[in-house]
Amino acid sequence: MELFFRDISRNIMITWDQLLNDLGEGNAYNPYCMSTNYYHVFRHIITSMLSGDEIILLDGDFTDDELVKLTGFHEFGKFVKPVDKTKFPIPGEKQKLIEQLRNTNNSWKITLFTSGTTGLPKKVTHNFNSITRFVKFFENSPSSVWGFAYNPTHMAGIQVFLQALLNGNSIVKLFGLSSNDIHHELMECRVTHISATPSFYRLLLPCEISFPYVERITSGGEIFDKGFVTQMGNIFPKAKINNIYASTEAGTLFTSYNDIFTIKPEYENFIKVDHDELLIHKSFIGQSDILLNEWYNTGDIIEILANDPIRFRFLTRKSDMINVGGYKVNPIEVEEAILLIPGIKDVRVFPRSNSVLGKLICCEIVCNDELMDEAKIRRFLQSKLQEFKIPRMIHFVHELTRTRTGKIKRT
Amino acid sequence: MEDNILQIINIILANRTKNKLASINPGMDLRNDIGFDSLDLAELTVRIEAEYKVDVFENGIINTIGEIMDTLKAK
Repeated sequence: MELFFRDISRNIMITWDQLLNDLGEGNAYNPYCMSTNYYHVFRHIITSMLSGDEIILLDGDFTDDELVKLTGFHEFGKFVKPVDKTKFPIPGEKQKLIEQLRNTNNSWKITLFTSGTTGLPKKVTHNFNSITRFVKFFENSPSSVWGFAYNPTHMAGIQVFLQALLNGNSIVKLFGLSSNDIHHELMECRVTHISATPSFYRLLLPCEISFPYVERITSGGEIFDKGFVTQMGNIFPKAKINNIYASTEAGTLFTSYNDIFTIKPEYENFIKVDHDELLIHKSFIGQSDILLNEWYNTGDIIEILANDPIRFRFLTRKSDMINVGGYKVNPIEVEEAILLIPGIKDVRVFPRSNSVLGKLICCEIVCNDELMDEAKIRRFLQSKLQEFKIPRMIHFVHELTRTRTGKIKRT
Repeated sequence: MEDNILQIINIILANRTKNKLASINPGMDLRNDIGFDSLDLAELTVRIEAEYKVDVFENGIINTIGEIMDTLKAK
C-alpha cells in the first residue's frame, strides 16, 4: 500500500488508494479552503485542480478579524456548491490521477495571501504554469518521501506539496511535531527529502543520531550560514544541502548550494539589481493586488559576487518585515491591532534576536490604564492575530523609543 | 534559581492561557512535559536572557529544565 500522507499528531495515515476513494466520494466544493488538517487542505487542492475551479487558501489559524480584512467574510459556508463529476470524472488509479493533475487546465487559479508591507496581507493568484514553474517532473518517478515542514497554505508548502503530488511521492508531516517525534518519523518513514526553514532544522539540534535515508535537504525563508551547513552535514551525512529563494509573489526562483546563488543564463534577463536591491521582472510574478511596474522590488538586499554567470548572496531585507522562524510579520499590522485595545495610547513593535527562531516579536506600550497587564493584551490579541504575530515580550513605558528624526525605532 | 525559572515558565504558560505549574524538576522536558512550542521556547530564551544575560539555547536546542540549570550554572 503506497503512502500518500501521514500525520502522527492526528493519527492520520492515508494511502494513495484511500485518497482516490475520498476524492470519488466528495460531492461538494467550496473555493475557500481553511483547515488545520493538512489532509483536508491537500484533498481540497487536488479537487480544485481536477475540476478547474479556483481555490483560495486561508491559514487554518486566521482569526475572524483577519478573515474579514482579507476576504470580506468570516464564514464561508454559503460558497459551497455541488460537484458535477460528469464534467470531470475522478480517475480510479494513481497513475491516471497524476497524469490528469499534470495536465491541469491553465485556467485553474490558486490564490494565497502574503504578509503585506502596508498592514494588510496581499492576495496573490497563480495559474498552473506559474505555480509549477520549478516543479521537477520525473517520468519514472523515484520513490521519494517528503518531510513536510511548512504550512500547506503558504507558498513554500504548496511548492513541496505539488512536487510530491505530481510525482506520486509520499508526504510525512513534520511541522509542529516535537523533536523526538520528528526524529521518529524521519527514521520510521524513511524520509528522503526535507524542505524547511533554518529554524525548523535548528529545532532538531542537538541531535546525536544521523539520518542516512535523507538524500536532500532544502532550506529557505531565512539567511543561513556556513556553520549551519556543517551542522546539517553531521545529522544528514548523505544529503545534498541546498538553499532556495522563493517569494509568494514569484514562487521559487533560484537555488544555491550553500549561501551563494547562481543565476541560470536563461533567467538573467528576468532579474536586475538596483541600489543593491534584487528586482524581478513582472513576467515572473503571479497576478496580484500589487500594482506592478515592469520590475518588482523584492525588498531583498544582495551582494553580487561575480558576473557571467551572476552569483550573489543575500545580505538583508530592505523593509521592516520581521522574520519569525521563516514567517514574515509586518510590525504595522501588529501595532494596528494593539491600538484597538482601550487605554493604550501608543505602541512600538520591534524584533528581538534569539537563537531559536532568529527573531521574536516584542513591543513597547504607552498606556494610561494602570490595571492593564501583559496577559490581558495577549488574550485580546489572540482573537485578532495569528499566534506568531503576537508580541512575546511587552514592556510598559512612559514614552516610545524613537530615532533621531522622530520615527519609530524598529531595531 | 529553580523558583525563578518556574516563575518565568508560568508567565509564558499564563500568557498562552495555559495552566500554571506548581513545581518543576530537572528531568522535565520543555516540549513533551510542559507543552512548549517553538514560539514558547523562543520566548523562554529571551526572558531568561533578560534575567541572567545568558542565551541558554546558543549551542542548540535545550530539552529539559536540568539542561537550562546546568547552562546557567556553567556561565
